[in-house]
Amino acid sequence: MASELPLTEQSAKLNPAIAFVIALCAWIVPGLGHLLTGRRGRAAVLFIVTAGLTLVGFAMRGEVFTPRSGDTFGTLGFLADAGAGVFYFLARSLATAGPDLARATGDYGSRFFAAAGIVNLLGVLDAYRIARARRG
Amino acid sequence: MFRTGIHMSHFAAMALFALLVSVALASLGRHTFQERLKYAVWTFLLFLIVGVGIAWLMYPLSR
Repeated sequence: MASELPLTEQSAKLNPAIAFVIALCAWIVPGLGHLLTGRRGRAAVLFIVTAGLTLVGFAMRGEVFTPRSGDTFGTLGFLADAGAGVFYFLARSLATAGPDLARATGDYGSRFFAAAGIVNLLGVLDAYRIARARRG
Repeated sequence: MFRTGIHMSHFAAMALFALLVSVALASLGRHTFQERLKYAVWTFLLFLIVGVGIAWLMYPLSR
């Protein structure tokens, strides 16, 4: 029943552009897309997990890739990292000490950053799917 | 902040990674609490078992 759906979800069925906006919101702030479609639990989990992975990656002094990394691996790393939305930009602005790649922990930190982005990108796809369909 | 970075063992880092990713995958892939819990525990254990298994397979190459 359309009347049982959250208002935003009903609107998205009428206008696909709203689903795109929800996906964009989901990318910028992890969990926001699910919050807008009424999935509060999933939104909280996505936010906490993405924030947790980013924080651990930051604490381990992993590498935050930039758009101009110079090689294919760096570009792929940037695409994965940037998936974390606001947490990517926070990590970039706060990681002033640079990566500690001389130790294995720093390399693990880079993987945590990438995982945060990939998890959030999965969340973006899920939020978009929910916004375009009735059930999630 | 974190200028020197935190240090943890390989296994601790893998377990923390497995825990966070398992919870996220369970939340996205399953609908009820029971299904999510079962999926998260199962995925977490598989992460650890496969990770330790691959480590043992690679052990002869490190010598």
